[in-house]
Amino acid sequence: MNGIGEYVPFLIPLIIAQLVLMVVAIIHIVRHPHYRFGNMVVWIIVVAAIGFIGPVVYFVFGRDRDE
Amino acid sequence: MRGYLAFLKKELMESTRTYKVFLMLVIFAVFGMMSPLIAKLTPQLIGSVVSAQMASAIPTPTAVDSWTQFYKNVAQMGLVILVIVFSGVLANELTKGTLVNVVTKGLSRALVIAAKLTSMALIWTVSLALAFAMAWIYTSYLFGADELPHLGVAVLLLWIFGLFVLSLLMCAASLSTNNYMILLITGAVLVIGLLAGILPPAYHYNPLSLASQNMPLITGAITLSDIGPAIAITVALTAGLVTGAILIFRRRLL
Repeated sequence: MNGIGEYVPFLIPLIIAQLVLMVVAIIHIVRHPHYRFGNMVVWIIVVAAIGFIGPVVYFVFGRDRDE
Repeated sequence: MRGYLAFLKKELMESTRTYKVFLMLVIFAVFGMMSPLIAKLTPQLIGSVVSAQMASAIPTPTAVDSWTQFYKNVAQMGLVILVIVFSGVLANELTKGTLVNVVTKGLSRALVIAAKLTSMALIWTVSLALAFAMAWIYTSYLFGADELPHLGVAVLLLWIFGLFVLSLLMCAASLSTNNYMILLITGAVLVIGLLAGILPPAYHYNPLSLASQNMPLITGAITLSDIGPAIAITVALTAGLVTGAILIFRRRLL
């Protein structure tokens, strides 16, 4: 049984895309510290913990409308 | 026409600046890359988590498994994300009152709806195309170039279904200013379709077949004519929902 090692070249773009999503959301959270609800810590945890739903929920529901 | 184009440009710019385009593109690219990998790595993952014996009992994954994953991810998660991302398409502007200026300056309300739908449809099209391209590249690298018929048709059906969902969303959005209400209405209609799916013969006519019968179509278990009525009904419903959205939006207070 060969390991996951040989698929690393395929995994890298996937991981990068997920990281970009998370990092962009976290940068936005830190630079715009006003939210419709919740606070900075809660949003960072949500974005970091819940795959791609986290960033979606932050940008759609959490981000302040009038920045 | 100029008003429509200007408003469409504004919509696309707004979607870019509110990270909607970014979210859609990155997430759909992830779906495209993830699905073939999940299919390919399932035996290894089970081997390392459960036991090697268990893993050897699983048949070697093929390109069909890869596309099964793709349609599962995009048709379920992808559509949920599409609806959530665009749930505020009208509500945000109605609560802020930014549409009053545009409409009183002479842009017809029908064109407002049309431009918003066009912008959503464009973003959906590009996102789905990206996901499909990624999945195609990954599948052909990981599983070899297996010639599967109807691959293009299957994704086209999913695309049409996406447009149906967007017009449903638009209709719900013209009814309510509450984000959650809009999600609820859209969700409720889709759940009704899902329940209708319990009756097996209903798939001939159920719009949801466009997002659920993709794999049977690819493997040849059903033919396109089996779901011909469903396609016709979906297109007719989409047209009806767009008309409905315009009619409702004409009467509502901005």
